[in-house]
Amino acid sequence: MKNTVSGLLALLLFCAAAGASDAAAPTSGQTSELSGREIMTRVYNRDEGDDRRSTITMTLTNKQGRQRIRAMESYSKNYGQDRKGIMIFLDPADVKGTMYLSWEYESPGREDDKWLYMPAMRKDRRISGASRNEYFMGSDFTYDDIGRRHPEKDKQRLLKEEKVRGLDCWKIECVPVDRSESYTLRTAWVSKEYLLVIKAEYFDKDGLLKTFEATDIHTQNGFSAIYVCEMANAATGHKTEMRIGSMRYNTGLNDSLFTVATLQRGRIQ
Amino acid sequence: MRRAGGSVCLFLFFFLWQNAALAATTGEMATYSEKAVDREQDDASFWKRFKVSGWLEGIHSMRIRAPHDPVTSRLRLRLELAADMGWLYGFASADAEKNWEIDSETGVEPHELWLEHVDTRWDIRVGRQIIIWGKADGVQVTDNISPPDYTESMTRDLDEIRQPVEAAKLRLLGEVVNLELIWIPVFRKAKLPEKDNPWAVSSQPPPGVRMYSDDAREPSPSLENSEAAVKLSGYFSGMDVAASAFYTWDDMPARRRAVSRASGVPEVRLRPEHHRMTIYGLEFSRPWSDFVFRGEAAYFVGRYRETTALDRNPPPKDSLKWLLGVDWTPGDDWTISAQILNEKIFGYQRCLGAEENDSLATVNISKKLFNQMLTVSNMLYYDLNDGEFFNRGKVEYEIANGFFASAGVDIFSGKNGQFGMYENNSQIWFKLKYSF
Repeated sequence: MKNTVSGLLALLLFCAAAGASDAAAPTSGQTSELSGREIMTRVYNRDEGDDRRSTITMTLTNKQGRQRIRAMESYSKNYGQDRKGIMIFLDPADVKGTMYLSWEYESPGREDDKWLYMPAMRKDRRISGASRNEYFMGSDFTYDDIGRRHPEKDKQRLLKEEKVRGLDCWKIECVPVDRSESYTLRTAWVSKEYLLVIKAEYFDKDGLLKTFEATDIHTQNGFSAIYVCEMANAATGHKTEMRIGSMRYNTGLNDSLFTVATLQRGRIQ
Repeated sequence: MRRAGGSVCLFLFFFLWQNAALAATTGEMATYSEKAVDREQDDASFWKRFKVSGWLEGIHSMRIRAPHDPVTSRLRLRLELAADMGWLYGFASADAEKNWEIDSETGVEPHELWLEHVDTRWDIRVGRQIIIWGKADGVQVTDNISPPDYTESMTRDLDEIRQPVEAAKLRLLGEVVNLELIWIPVFRKAKLPEKDNPWAVSSQPPPGVRMYSDDAREPSPSLENSEAAVKLSGYFSGMDVAASAFYTWDDMPARRRAVSRASGVPEVRLRPEHHRMTIYGLEFSRPWSDFVFRGEAAYFVGRYRETTALDRNPPPKDSLKWLLGVDWTPGDDWTISAQILNEKIFGYQRCLGAEENDSLATVNISKKLFNQMLTVSNMLYYDLNDGEFFNRGKVEYEIANGFFASAGVDIFSGKNGQFGMYENNSQIWFKLKYSF
């Protein structure tokens, strides 16, 4: 189970990370002055509020059209540059009540702290930083895909400007600095308006591996987020749709929510 | 199967619940600020405070050796009811089982039944509950609060090997340090296979000796017979640590002997008794890269130990039990765990049934395939003292959301030790489980 939940908090940030949209986004006139690294740094540093809560539903569809559903509730809060999050699974029933707690640190040399609670065993346990190339919950997203990827991990190059779904975007090539990573290349389309990656293509040594595309992006309470997106595996025909059911920012989440004591209860009070 | 008289508790539970719910819906009690987004919109509806869940599971096995008859064959329904009133949370669960191999397991029995109140800096849970401590997988070191249920030896899932206890658990909660206080007024013993159970262990007296066994004498519910535990836990960046003390009764009885030769034939009367003991425990857990290192140690003070001699009563002995384990998640949906467990008895006497140093190793390897629809795993328990082992290989397939089919093989191997005595019970099995 540990491998199915690690990184889910990051998933939330990936799909629903907010930008202080218009205020933070540069105008088209600034485009030529920005490098690929600067654009991705802006994406990384966009405002996400002090805390967030949301519900997420994933629909996993295989090549034959068979579907599986995964649903969860997520809460996270900033502590300076660090971040704490807790997530509880709602569906399917066999993992209902499974909880995941993470304390994520900005400092590159400091390992995140992560715990998992399994209701069937009624116990919590420490888990390691999950492998970056591992798929979570059977979806087509790896932890690497959904994580809040620091710009320094890639070498970026601004290729050109393009429209995607009617939105002006920068097309950026990202090559991992660490050659052992599962992808050799990622091409990302960053919306100028929302400062979010709304389309991406992932390549390995054999060619195109997966494609990501956001299909619903909108602004709520001053924060922009991706509400529906899909990752499709070109090799297997398997795809995953991710849907944010509700998203709320700055609700004043209590610090006691992000503790192992909460995890051990097996429910969010 | 036990049929505890839970009807009075159930009535009390729902009576209290009804009153709490009415108060909550009329606004007499403050609502908690941390509700889930959707849940906030549902609070107006009384019935939406209640959640029903559970699972239905059927398992059937066949003995590998002749006569290839079933060793395990049962159908079990678990029903769970949770009710969230904001200031008070209640949980009740019950099992209904039809067991074709162990008659005593057929029936209906309550499982857990507790109420909980949560505050920012403390919480309390009162009622029949399962409490699990420790960092170990599949073995017990400091995990001695909820007694084990060995009705089907070790072949049940881990969550089915614990019995709930009637307890009050109070926790004082800090940011990274918690203090847990537990009071258990009602003693509950370990559940062992008996009579016609294929997992029952028969002990034959030596030739020419008559042996009788009384029923185990259990501590009656009273204040002085209560069990109490305290645990201090710290969850720090990069390390979890805990220290505990548990003043308890031994879940397993030790049998006192009374030998007589009144009729000319040696007669041994066994009188199983539960004894007081204290357990001091330490735990730690430390992640590093893709690994998690974990360990536990428990010092048992004055645990009565069975002897192999017919005329020697069990003597109290101190012992130290420790475990070191490592979990490795190398990626690509592989999980590998290994543990080593040792128990040393101090002041050892040769007449003791247990060995002075007993060591066990476990290895668990798991791989998920096809977008995690299929899981293949193998768990090995290996007795380092005499080479006996228990190995469970398993394949599990997700047919639909919450609906799983699994099949496996359990191999016991050895002579007459903890695994070897079940060699004839080596089995292949098939299971269907639907969670709702």
